[in-house]
Amino acid sequence: MSEKRFEICPTTELTPGERRIENLGGFSVGVFNVGGEYYAMKNDCPHQRAPLCEGKLTGTNTSDTPGEYNWERDGQIVTCPWHGWEFDVTTGESVFNPHRVKAKTFEATVEEAEDTKMASGGSSCGDCGAHLEGSEPPVETYDVEVEHGTVVVYL
Amino acid sequence: MVEDNQVQTVNPGHSTEMMLLDADIHQRWADDKAIVQYLPERYKDDGIVAPELLYRNPGGFLKQDEVSEGGGKPGSDTQKIVEDHLDKHDIDYGMFTGNSWFNLGALPNRDYANELARAYNEWLIDECLSVDERFLGSMYIAPKAPKKGAELIREYGSHPQIRQVMLPGGAEVPYGRPQYWPLYEAAEEMNLAIAIHPFSEGHGTSNPPTGAGHPNSYIEWHTLLGTYYMGQLTSMVTEGVFVEYPDLRLALIEGGYGWLPHFMWRLDKNWKGLRSQVPWLEKKPSHYIRKNVWFASQPIEEPEEPEQHNQILDMMHADEILIFASDYPHWDGDDPMWGLPPMEDEMERAVMYENAMELWDLPADPTDLN
Repeated sequence: MSEKRFEICPTTELTPGERRIENLGGFSVGVFNVGGEYYAMKNDCPHQRAPLCEGKLTGTNTSDTPGEYNWERDGQIVTCPWHGWEFDVTTGESVFNPHRVKAKTFEATVEEAEDTKMASGGSSCGDCGAHLEGSEPPVETYDVEVEHGTVVVYL
Repeated sequence: MVEDNQVQTVNPGHSTEMMLLDADIHQRWADDKAIVQYLPERYKDDGIVAPELLYRNPGGFLKQDEVSEGGGKPGSDTQKIVEDHLDKHDIDYGMFTGNSWFNLGALPNRDYANELARAYNEWLIDECLSVDERFLGSMYIAPKAPKKGAELIREYGSHPQIRQVMLPGGAEVPYGRPQYWPLYEAAEEMNLAIAIHPFSEGHGTSNPPTGAGHPNSYIEWHTLLGTYYMGQLTSMVTEGVFVEYPDLRLALIEGGYGWLPHFMWRLDKNWKGLRSQVPWLEKKPSHYIRKNVWFASQPIEEPEEPEQHNQILDMMHADEILIFASDYPHWDGDDPMWGLPPMEDEMERAVMYENAMELWDLPADPTDLN
């Protein structure tokens, strides 16, 4: 497949716990640094198309028994700013229904800086549109890779 | 042709060929002495002192054609219940739910309420269940004394006809709170259902019967019973009662069911965004309702178009969780033959007996109860 390459920023400008939201070829994408790893997720909630990546970046609770809480996945859960649905930015999977409700993610990586212009990718992405499917459509996630120097996302 | 015509006249009502369980039959004592005789000495002089419903019904609360021969209140002669209700309608099992004026949940004193519950259970076994093997019993506990209530469940719950533990709809705090869990643990252990039936709402120490406060008239009180049930059910589901006690079976009696589609949809919808507050729920909240909770039909919903009733049944998964109840001999009861509108045979079988057989884990033949 023909992926479009987008340089986001120097790694020094996206440190652990931070995120950026960029327009990549016409699509709004959130790029996250979670503990030194980079992830990219479409800024588009599959529920009602809210700007998902603008939500609170936090963790979530699990439980072994009623009344007891375990705090997990700190810093890798984004809660949708509209209705609070939780998504794991490292996979795009929702917490409440990870197999059926997902956000689109992209490949994100760090690469040696190139001289190409930032966000210079093409204008089309065949797999980037929102596909609302019934009441629980999947959310798309994207691959993000990082090489030393520059955070790069492939759409 | 004559036979055909007879079949035609019966057809719209319930078929007597089908088994029939009634989930809500109210028996009562003719005289308070029937209960007081079982009270410990420290309370015998007090008799029965329980908060009364202060709302009035201009037509009375009881079917006036069921007054017993001696002039006793309807429901006070169990033999009359056998003849006028079980035999008349060919009912296979009838669940005694007791006296709705016995507002144990609204009493301030835990020990007194617990002893009244014990006395009721003695009376239930000695003078009610013994009358006919088709009768089933709902034993009482005092909600403010859950540990003692659990002891009562283990003491009386092994009686073969006792199949559930009754909680009043009205309470001080919602039923999902862990303070009540000893009751659920004991009920699950004894293979008894927990039932909630309207009483104690807004009386004595209970909360107001609506979130809006104390209503002005009985029409308000009666119409809004379902909202109290919503509070209890939300509490029990979200606090994880059915996670902790996965085999617990809950019956919500006389709180309605037309609200259930809305309720399940809204609870599931909210859970998607608020799940992290209740992470012990392994499935969406409606899963636990469909698996662990049953709803009694009376007072039946009466939509503008009869077909809309069938739509409600579909939306609430009535084939899994709705059970027939008459509420005999109360004023708003549903007749076993004519109370429910025509349904598909499969749905009718589920509602009229199959679902209740599962709820109370009953053998097909009452003589096999042991």
